[in-house]
Amino acid sequence: MTHNGISRYSMEIATALLTGGIGLAICYGAWQVGTGWTPSGPDSGYFPFWIGVLVVAGSVVNLLRTIVGHRHKDEIFLDAARLKSLARFVLPILGFAVISLLLGLYVGTTLYVLFAMRLQGHYAWWKSLASGVAISVCFYLLFELVFQVPLLKGPLEHAFGIY
Amino acid sequence: MNNLSLLMDGFATILTWNHLLIMVIGVMLGMLVGVLPGLGAPNGVSLLLPLTFTMDPVSAIILLSCMYWGALFGGSTTSILFNIPGEPSSVATTFDGYPMARNGEATRALTLAFMSAGLGALAGVVMITLLASSVAQFGLKFSSPEYFAVYFLAFCSFIGMSSSAPSKTLVSMMLGLAFATVGMDSVSGGLRLTFDIPDLVKGISFLVAVMGLFGIAELMVTTEEGLSFNGIKSRIRVRDILRTMAELPRYWASLVRSILIGIWMGITPAGPTAASFMSHGIAKRFSRHPERFGKGEPNGIVSPEAADHSAGTSALLPMLALGVPGSATAAVMMGGLMIWGLTPGPMLFITRPDFVWGLVASMYLGNVVAVILVLSTVPLYASILRVPFAIIGPVIVAVIFTGVYQVANSTFDFWLLLFFALLGYLFKKLDYPVAPLVLTMVLGHRAEEAFRQSMVMSDGSVTVFWSNSLVSTIMGLGVLMLVWPLFSRMLGLRGWRRRLHRQKPQASKPATPDSRP
Repeated sequence: MTHNGISRYSMEIATALLTGGIGLAICYGAWQVGTGWTPSGPDSGYFPFWIGVLVVAGSVVNLLRTIVGHRHKDEIFLDAARLKSLARFVLPILGFAVISLLLGLYVGTTLYVLFAMRLQGHYAWWKSLASGVAISVCFYLLFELVFQVPLLKGPLEHAFGIY
Repeated sequence: MNNLSLLMDGFATILTWNHLLIMVIGVMLGMLVGVLPGLGAPNGVSLLLPLTFTMDPVSAIILLSCMYWGALFGGSTTSILFNIPGEPSSVATTFDGYPMARNGEATRALTLAFMSAGLGALAGVVMITLLASSVAQFGLKFSSPEYFAVYFLAFCSFIGMSSSAPSKTLVSMMLGLAFATVGMDSVSGGLRLTFDIPDLVKGISFLVAVMGLFGIAELMVTTEEGLSFNGIKSRIRVRDILRTMAELPRYWASLVRSILIGIWMGITPAGPTAASFMSHGIAKRFSRHPERFGKGEPNGIVSPEAADHSAGTSALLPMLALGVPGSATAAVMMGGLMIWGLTPGPMLFITRPDFVWGLVASMYLGNVVAVILVLSTVPLYASILRVPFAIIGPVIVAVIFTGVYQVANSTFDFWLLLFFALLGYLFKKLDYPVAPLVLTMVLGHRAEEAFRQSMVMSDGSVTVFWSNSLVSTIMGLGVLMLVWPLFSRMLGLRGWRRRLHRQKPQASKPATPDSRP
């Protein structure tokens, strides 16, 4: 954290560590199932193991390029204003995912559109609510009736007898 | 001549009202995703793919490929009217397209772009018609080592041709391969890399990855930049369209040159983005009035558009004939083929000629339909961009969530989606290329299978990849691609990449150089 936001330098390092970590997990998972040679050819873990090694190797190079080369030291990854607008966008999405798990996608969509419009666009309650309901109804007509692919439903739909 | 009769059979397959309707729907949906921020061709095709599971493959591929053409045209529209490239490959169109539209000649700019794009696409399809059978014949000579060599070549050319750091491209590509191996091992039937999470047994779908990487992540970048679209109002007049069409023959030299560049870059894995930049650059260098470029020079619109679309269509040749997609969208379509139970590659030409030639025929017709539709509906689509992002953004997110659920009716995929969104956001902001991750995720199974079969054939010796002239040539080309950045730096060919980087900050709609459509 610099005084005016998150620096790109620290994010480069964090991302290299993240990909490197995933690479290590791949190697470990591959090693669990066996990375050697079996009578029927290479074991299931052989290919993923070396892929994991390459991920780790690439991540190490990225890390060293950043640290040793002092790259992107003065660049800003995200400043406070942008962080705020990003949070306004991302937090409702997280809520959307959780609510959809509990109450189904239709209720989730309605509430998500309602709050996202309130939060990002400062629309009036009734406008946001109407948009949310309208979009849910459109989804229902499109997916359940036209394409006949059921979406995730929750207790509310069950109470109304919609399956 | 044989190809021609096969093509006629293809036309016979697709010329039904049903298929024509599907074509129109595909193009319209494609233009919609091409115009909307955060939704590009790969994402649109991924969203539509689950809905095609029950369709017959010919209708399904017509729908998806027409969506691709529509998205390419939609991308050019926003480039010209809003100075926002809808697709990375239409960045070069903004150089001269937007200035011309600002000078009050929006209709002329749009018509020039669409007509040359349509001609480029048609030239690409003609090339596919002529060459497809011979390339597929050639492909029949391939066995496992050759196939692995072809994948190796594709992977190497990503590293060689990418504008990102080679180590970043490597990480992105290898992560894709690794994600593809999660779940059931198709050879031994055992589970791997599931880390005792039951939801991972079914594997990680590339569709979820595309929707996170290209969809949510792109929206995150878009929101952060704060969107304000200052579009040019355009009224399309038929008289202006006709007058522009009459002036088109004047640019024949640029057209022919750009089409050749596009076809070459499309077949080789350089892709449409590189083709359009190179074509614009060469047009400027060869022009008698290079000072007019950047101020609305017609040749500066014709060249990148013709090259972009001829490369876009040509990229389907290696996908169909060899099973190696040339772009992220082609990769998603290829994933679709496999889900419908078809195996892309030379055998497809023998087992399902109706499918292959139906697709080729639909490319002729689809592009004509697209040019007509796009010219008649531009004002409508341009008005969509004027709807506030606070309304469009949440709707797109909700559509993506429903799309992710439809992939496998699994709620675990919501979390995977968020993971890929985070990864995509970091990658986009830190100049990691995203397209290679998707490509390798689709190709992963086939690449691994080819590798393992080769190893079985040779009893574990890697010399099998240098065992005959064919496989050594392909492997050699791959190695050449790996060291290509060094060569091109010596020859000073990296100009278009620098320009791509310079262009990027002005584009409010993020166009990462390597997320090829």
